Amino acid sequence: MSVPTVEIMDVHKRFGRTPALAGLSFDAPAGITGLLGPNGAGKTTLLRMAATVLAPDSGRIRMLGWDPSVSDERLAIRRRLGYMPQEPGFHRSFTAFEFVDYIAILKEMTDRRARHDEVRRVLDLVGLDGVKGRRIKTLSGGMRRRVALAQALLGDPDLLVLDEPTAGLDPEQRLRFREIVSERAADRTVLLSTHQTEDVSALCPRVVVMLDGAALFDGTPRELTNVAAGRVWLAAERSPSARLSWRSPDGSHRNIGDAPAGADLVDPTLEDGYLLLVGERAFAEEEAA
Amino acid sequence: MSATWHAAPEVLDRYAAEDLNDVHASSLEAHLLRCAHCRSSLSARAQSPRLEAVWTGIEDALDAPRPGVVERLLLRVGVRGHVARLLAATPSLRLSWILAEAIALGTAAIAAQGAAGTNRAGASLFLFLMLAAVAPVAGVAAAFGPGVDPTYEIGIAAPMRSDRLLFIRATAVLCASLVIAGVAAVALPRSDWTVTVWLVPAFGLTLATLALATWVRPIAAAVVVGLGWVLLAAAASIASTDPLAAFHAGSQLLFLGLIAGSVVVLARRHAAYEGRIPT
Repeated sequence: MSVPTVEIMDVHKRFGRTPALAGLSFDAPAGITGLLGPNGAGKTTLLRMAATVLAPDSGRIRMLGWDPSVSDERLAIRRRLGYMPQEPGFHRSFTAFEFVDYIAILKEMTDRRARHDEVRRVLDLVGLDGVKGRRIKTLSGGMRRRVALAQALLGDPDLLVLDEPTAGLDPEQRLRFREIVSERAADRTVLLSTHQTEDVSALCPRVVVMLDGAALFDGTPRELTNVAAGRVWLAAERSPSARLSWRSPDGSHRNIGDAPAGADLVDPTLEDGYLLLVGERAFAEEEAA
Repeated sequence: MSATWHAAPEVLDRYAAEDLNDVHASSLEAHLLRCAHCRSSLSARAQSPRLEAVWTGIEDALDAPRPGVVERLLLRVGVRGHVARLLAATPSLRLSWILAEAIALGTAAIAAQGAAGTNRAGASLFLFLMLAAVAPVAGVAAAFGPGVDPTYEIGIAAPMRSDRLLFIRATAVLCASLVIAGVAAVALPRSDWTVTVWLVPAFGLTLATLALATWVRPIAAAVVVGLGWVLLAAAASIASTDPLAAFHAGSQLLFLGLIAGSVVVLARRHAAYEGRIPT
């Protein structure tokens, strides 16, 4: 296993009385690490910390070997970082080119020609070459997210922090996104959050499932899938003993949990493993209450 | 399409040697697109690798969109290209903001002119001077920070220091406000020293806002400083027989002290601008 480029050690963060991270610890090596978890699990708080825009209340973070709480080291991290926030803001009167150019200036690219070449490169990469002269306010939601991704790719950063990068993308755009990110992941580190288990299956050799501000699972997608091994059943009816159950398109019911009568055991998917893991915790909390 | 003029040989020489600044290079590239004669002259000057760079420049001129009004104006007055782009993204340097400020100060100046010779003359002049002093405070509040700058979060994660960006923008906002208020002051009924008494308070209030913004958000700092100024100035005006009491020599000295104190705070605490994210 390679040396971790992101190290999170017993990190706590509260917003007022609400705990966002509660003793989170994990490492991310080079390659793509996917963060899965329900809303409010702490994914965005963690990614903001990884992007050096938020400091923990306690605990330690190291990125690319540097400590973001030290001013000079934070600057060194920022020079090798690309960040796409969950809700990227835009200067809507800028064109796509002007906006990415503006962020390139913030990334210390002051030579106009070299900067413009780089802006063209990243816009081409995300498939926006044809609309680079259009005002951002006239672009669709999916196009805006690609503009946000383009700015994160400026300078070919060693560490990419992407908060729900595929939200709002259509299937074709999502495939293109996976291609772009996977091409860059060989010797770089990508930390991304998503609600799409398909993204994790397709992209991430490593997945961390977060719940209530802590890491509930840390392993490979295969290992997460195996959490539901022997516990996914297809039956004609919804099983009252199932942790989770829903109707499939073919009319049968997919039950996750204990075996219902007359049901067929089927191979689990990553989504089954994730749902079972998160559902088990919720079930245990309900029982404890 | 052909051009009616040609670039000077020394300009082409400097461009070929990459010795031309961004503003002039952009202008020349725009001309090269239309002028075969100058393209040919430049080709003769440029070595092969350099020629490639020249065509990249031309491609750049073709691709790069035409900047907005404010950005073009900044380039015209000699601001460097990348600084002009940083300033063009400043909410309080947008045309709509500048127009709103010009209308507010222009209206106040015209009202003061209209009230000349009446018993409202002093109050009308006070209103203009008070607004002229507080206008850059509002502009600085809307220049940078969470909730104001839509790209604040991306900007914080970029290597450019937040204090540098804020100071660049605050300087530009202050200059724009001073020009607008200075032009509006021409419409005032008086042409003595009175029309300039807002200058020191404007500097003082702006710097105090920046200093306070090292503890709280720029908007909150501006509200505290702006509202405090309006209340104190109005109270001084009401308490005194002279409506312009808030601008007398004693007040000017106090503002000089405020400027000095704010500069000290900024020198010590400018790093605090980093990492203030809305929760």
